[in-house]
Amino acid sequence: MTGPSGVGIGWRPEIAGFVAGLPGLRFVEVVAEAVAPARPLPDGLTELRGRGVDVVPHGVRLSLGGAEPVDPARVAHLAGVAAALDAPLVSEHIAFVRAGGLEAGHLLPLPRSREAVAAVVANVRRTQAELPVPLALEPIAALFDWPDDELDEADFLTEILDATGALLLLDVANVHANARNRGGDPAALLDRLPLERVAYVHVAGGAEHGGFYHDTHTDPVPAAVLDLVRELCAGRRPPALLLERDGHYPPAAELRGELDALAAASGHPVVT
Amino acid sequence: MSGDLAARQAELVAALVAGGPLPPGFAPAPVAAARRALLRKRAGDVARHWPLLAAGLGPAWPATFTTWADGRPTNGSLRDGWDLARDLRDRDTLPPLGAEELAEREAASRYDGRRPPRPRRLPALARTGGAVAVQVAGRVRLLRPAPR
Repeated sequence: MTGPSGVGIGWRPEIAGFVAGLPGLRFVEVVAEAVAPARPLPDGLTELRGRGVDVVPHGVRLSLGGAEPVDPARVAHLAGVAAALDAPLVSEHIAFVRAGGLEAGHLLPLPRSREAVAAVVANVRRTQAELPVPLALEPIAALFDWPDDELDEADFLTEILDATGALLLLDVANVHANARNRGGDPAALLDRLPLERVAYVHVAGGAEHGGFYHDTHTDPVPAAVLDLVRELCAGRRPPALLLERDGHYPPAAELRGELDALAAASGHPVVT
Repeated sequence: MSGDLAARQAELVAALVAGGPLPPGFAPAPVAAARRALLRKRAGDVARHWPLLAAGLGPAWPATFTTWADGRPTNGSLRDGWDLARDLRDRDTLPPLGAEELAEREAASRYDGRRPPRPRRLPALARTGGAVAVQVAGRVRLLRPAPR
């Protein structure tokens, strides 16, 4: 598999013009649920594909960590988007987003228990069986823990990856957020993760709010997150890193600055 | 504490979005922070579907939305904004921009408050807070703006 490489950015309609103007860009990510595979792709994505830019569908509503089996229609949609974009891989989260008929509206953490590992593994296998390409799994940021953890974060993630053969989408901002809000040493966690399985890395901004660090994707990337990127890449540099920005878009120069900082911290070529 | 992940996930989601009790063993402050963060994220999602309603409320939007939405599970951003706009209209607190957006939506689609809105097939006129919108063959026009 040739996966994504270099520094990328999350493609969003609001910044399509900015993304189209990045000369060195080799990969972007698109929210899978925002693409309708049966209809023509947004012009911006078609242009990028024409330039040979990889587009990775990133699912947010599959609920792989739900105790119930994944919805086959959602899996089929993700597979359809991957095919329509001729994507090298797709990604989703180790999380659940609905239960008991209620939508949470965002990614929620799982207990780090054997029961939860089994539920995720079963859903990942159901999904992989329908996907035309490999699946990368992203551990999420959360503000709270379940009371009955049996495993620590590294063992929990490694068991899921080992049992499914899935790739890892490592979100460095989530590692930072979890360490700030739930304790633990972010560098020590990175040391214990199976970094050879990293398909690409997410980097995003956040802000302090009410005594917690919130992974907002609408604020600048903090220096502490860039430091973690530097540390990660000094050890084993991941093939690709992607900046996620989901709102409060800054002026182009500021966004270019964030991409340049990511290139500098990782040692990948500048894309701007 | 184990054996029924489905039930425990349902309890947690109910506590976060439907005003349910905090499930045993969870730390109250972090779960409360997560509940507020979900409401803020939802406010942003609904504002994208109802840009004039949110703009009409201006700096009051986040608090107006989160107060209304707290303990009320989402029906999707389109319906959440619609339900809130009707609620504000009934309390005479819908701003003119929101009244115009609501009138246009009501002219375009039939929404009974319980099932997803469906496009109207016949021409329709909708009045909301002094705003009047008309829809013919799927095209919507604001006939009269809401009074400022």
